[in-house]
Amino acid sequence: MDRLGRYALLLSLALAAWGLLAAVAGLRRRRPLAVESARTTAYGLLAAVATANGAMLVALLSDDFALRYVAQNSSRATPAFFKVLALWSADDGSLLLWNLVLAGYLAAVAFRFRRYRPETLPGALAVMYGVAIFYLLLVSGPSEPFATLAAAPPDGRGPTPLLQNHPLMAVHPPFLYLGFVGLTVPFAFALAGLAGDGPSDRWAALTRRWTLAVWCFLTVGLLLGALWSYAVLGWGGYWAWDPVENAALLPWLMATAFLHSVMLQERRGMLRVWNLGLAVGAFALATFGTFLTRGNVLLSVHTFATSAVGPMYLGFLLLVLAGGFGLIAARAWRLRAPGRIDAVLSREASFLGNNLLLLTLTFVVLLGTVFPLAVEAVSGRQVTVGGPYFRVTTVPLLLLLLLLAGAGPLLPWRGGSAERLLRRLRLPLGAGAVLVAALALRGPRNPAAVAAFGLAAFAGVANLAEIGAGVRAAARTGRGGPTAALGTLLRSRRRHGGLLVHVGLALAAVGITASSTLAHHADMTLSRGAGATFAGYTLTYEGMRTLRQPQRTVLVTDVGVASDGHDLGRMTPSLNLYPAASEPIGTPAIRSGPLRDLYVSVVGVEQAGEQASFRVFLNPGVIWLWVGGAVMALGGLLAGWPSRRRPAPPARRREPAVADRA
Amino acid sequence: MSGRALLPVAAVVVAVALAAWLGLAGLGRDPGAIRSPLLDRPAPDFALRTLGADRMVRLADLRGQVVVLNFWASWCAECRVEHPALDAAWGRFRDAGVVLVGVDFQDDHPSALAYLSERGTGWPVVADPGSRTALAYGVYGIPETFFIGPDGRIAARQVGPVTYDQLVREITRLLPGGRGPAGAPAAGSRSA
Amino acid sequence: MTGLTAASRTARAWLRRPAAGLAALLLLALSGLAVVTARGPGAAATPAEQVHAIATGLRCPVCRDLSVADSPAPLAREMRDRIAEGVAAGKPPETIRREFVAAYGESVLLVPPRRGAGLVPWVAPALLLAGGLVAAVLALRRWRGRAPAASAGPPPSARTSGADRRLLERALARIDEEAP
Repeated sequence: MDRLGRYALLLSLALAAWGLLAAVAGLRRRRPLAVESARTTAYGLLAAVATANGAMLVALLSDDFALRYVAQNSSRATPAFFKVLALWSADDGSLLLWNLVLAGYLAAVAFRFRRYRPETLPGALAVMYGVAIFYLLLVSGPSEPFATLAAAPPDGRGPTPLLQNHPLMAVHPPFLYLGFVGLTVPFAFALAGLAGDGPSDRWAALTRRWTLAVWCFLTVGLLLGALWSYAVLGWGGYWAWDPVENAALLPWLMATAFLHSVMLQERRGMLRVWNLGLAVGAFALATFGTFLTRGNVLLSVHTFATSAVGPMYLGFLLLVLAGGFGLIAARAWRLRAPGRIDAVLSREASFLGNNLLLLTLTFVVLLGTVFPLAVEAVSGRQVTVGGPYFRVTTVPLLLLLLLLAGAGPLLPWRGGSAERLLRRLRLPLGAGAVLVAALALRGPRNPAAVAAFGLAAFAGVANLAEIGAGVRAAARTGRGGPTAALGTLLRSRRRHGGLLVHVGLALAAVGITASSTLAHHADMTLSRGAGATFAGYTLTYEGMRTLRQPQRTVLVTDVGVASDGHDLGRMTPSLNLYPAASEPIGTPAIRSGPLRDLYVSVVGVEQAGEQASFRVFLNPGVIWLWVGGAVMALGGLLAGWPSRRRPAPPARRREPAVADRA
Repeated sequence: MSGRALLPVAAVVVAVALAAWLGLAGLGRDPGAIRSPLLDRPAPDFALRTLGADRMVRLADLRGQVVVLNFWASWCAECRVEHPALDAAWGRFRDAGVVLVGVDFQDDHPSALAYLSERGTGWPVVADPGSRTALAYGVYGIPETFFIGPDGRIAARQVGPVTYDQLVREITRLLPGGRGPAGAPAAGSRSA
Repeated sequence: MTGLTAASRTARAWLRRPAAGLAALLLLALSGLAVVTARGPGAAATPAEQVHAIATGLRCPVCRDLSVADSPAPLAREMRDRIAEGVAAGKPPETIRREFVAAYGESVLLVPPRRGAGLVPWVAPALLLAGGLVAAVLALRRWRGRAPAASAGPPPSARTSGADRRLLERALARIDEEAP
């Protein structure tokens, strides 16, 4: 198995190198045959990388402990499901998965452009092959997933306990990888457009759907990460402003900014250089995230075991920065087109505001993440930048973004009558104001929270009203019936998808605000049979039972829950004891509801279960974060869903051509 | 490359150079190490009862002697690794007036006593209720060992199992006739 | 009599304008916020809340990505006990924090102290936002200057009925959005 994997990786490296050469040759000498060869090589590359991944999977499932990776990350007792997950639960294996996703994107690009070949295709392929070569070099060189041990041990060590505790581990990394790796596509086409001779604004239209899909993957990946933190780690929260969490958030923020400002480029031909910068920046941030996670720069729940690949990641990151931004700097002056905005109260201006806020947010999060490293490098002083900093600095920006998410879709392109705008504002503003007034009477004491709820209502109602207006207009033009309404939604799905994303954002904002500002928690130590009250619930510790599983021992505590005398059932938080871990890993019990979550985590068990210590939380509104996030992802999916008739290649543009060189 | 591109390209070069310097600095350090602010500072005083409850150990009483303070627990696997080194150093230096004190960290009495009798620990081991002493010394993960000079200042700190060579080196340096407490950042006065 | 009817008619006409309604709603929202702000955090914080407030600003030395308030580690629990003792003894929060800094160093604070280099994370984002705002405003003015004149909506002479106009604008908006 190890030999199959190693040869498959070497073959992949060779194919990627060939693809790069063919693409460059096709680019420089305009040889369509070379381009075609570069394109079809992508299929071979995917097959080779898939073989390597398959070899590792087979080794894991068949307990081939001669492989060092299998011995360190799997064991006979591990259930089959988690053996599969072990492929990406540690550094070397997850790099294999990363390469697979990258090869998959290359093949998808090759397939998508098999008939219509844009000018930027050879350049884009070249860039993507270049990135693939870097990651293949990593797995062929320092990372070595197929390294073997001199003597195969009888059993493996098993996966890190924290990573085999929950099936969510199955989906969180793959979705994130689909997002991070996918940012290579707009990056590649952006660079290709820059390096070419003609007008370079087509790359944005070409990659629009790709970027939307990548954004959806990132949204889902981040959401799953928060869900994992909440449901598995047991500390009662879902976002710790951990440096690696921040590093995953950064490309998402920039991709969101990009998706908005690219619309300005499509309609008014503006911000070409800016969008190039955003595309490069998003990919650079994703690469930076990889560097932080795998480069042994930080300690975090995410960082993998120490490895010697840090310098390689840094080198690649610097190459991306220098190449991407350097190319933009060298060529930008050729692309400047005069911008045009008709009015301040226009959709265009709101996109400018959106970009300003998102980029400032990105800067704040990046600064907070990097600041401790920078200070230590300069003065040797060790400081921390944590939750309180990020909360104070991001909340005002997020509130303003909510405002724009509500007002922006109401603003027409090129500006319009103020009266029209004011009429559209009436309902959303009414909803927000009424909510604020109601909360002011008997609600939270935190003005930022009240403002957030009001703005979320404003944004949610504004976008829902716009969706409703579109549906009603279709019904009124006589095409009648709910199916026609659905048809309207689907026909202009770009707009309605975007509106739906904003609705999801409003819902998520409600969830985040409620759970951050209105949560309570308490610590309690209970003897068997004793109970305590918390937030209107009566919790009774009924007892503990032990479950022996092949890979771990689980101590399950039974906690009876009652409210106002009604018995609400039993919650079972547990402690998992793994042989490899010195401390038990807790699994919380959560009782979710539309208004609040009751969250019980068992912290310790003493005297063979006679006494147990719990941490209990009341988290209002958390479910709306998950619902809102899902709606956001669905909205993105709707917005990007391909139509049956393919739009004609953007040969004729409405905007002016590239600027003169005067 | 046109002249108009010169300034932007130069800006990119500077920015990338800055990023490179930051990245290399980030790579060049141990992310797990917390630098101790207590080095060369007076060691926080404590008065703790031994596990057998038969006597009190007060740091103030030990002024003028070299004190090696070792935080450990019976559930800690790495503490077992360093126990032989401590035992050997104890045997070598006890007559020179060096005091080795073990501090039990977040442990329960029965397990700790069982560990001590099983291992034959000869030096005094105290209990630390509420981890006050551990918190005062900035302990974040055991085993941790502090080397306190006759002047009452913390000369060195080791996070993780301590080796026999380290013990000999640090103790010798602190004994009269050695080179005195290591104030400069020589090996051992870093938290490794 | 006619003066009063005339006045009430103008008042009603004015109130029917959308701008007036919106201004009223905005006023409602802002006054609601003002009430909440003025009401303040309510009764003085209980000792448990004071402990929580201090603990959320300290970093757990064991679970380094969590605050002392959030961390389930036993050491964090004991740190919270020490904080509670300090609060009960009447020590100000700054003194309690400084005791932990003396043992663990500055990195135990979740926010760098605001002196020297510690000011940068606070000042830089504000500068960036201000600078970006200035740049955006300048860009808007430059771009606006190039726009063809008079695109503030249909001329008032085209008196289409309100409903027709709404229908027309919605249809126009839909055509706008459907374009790729």
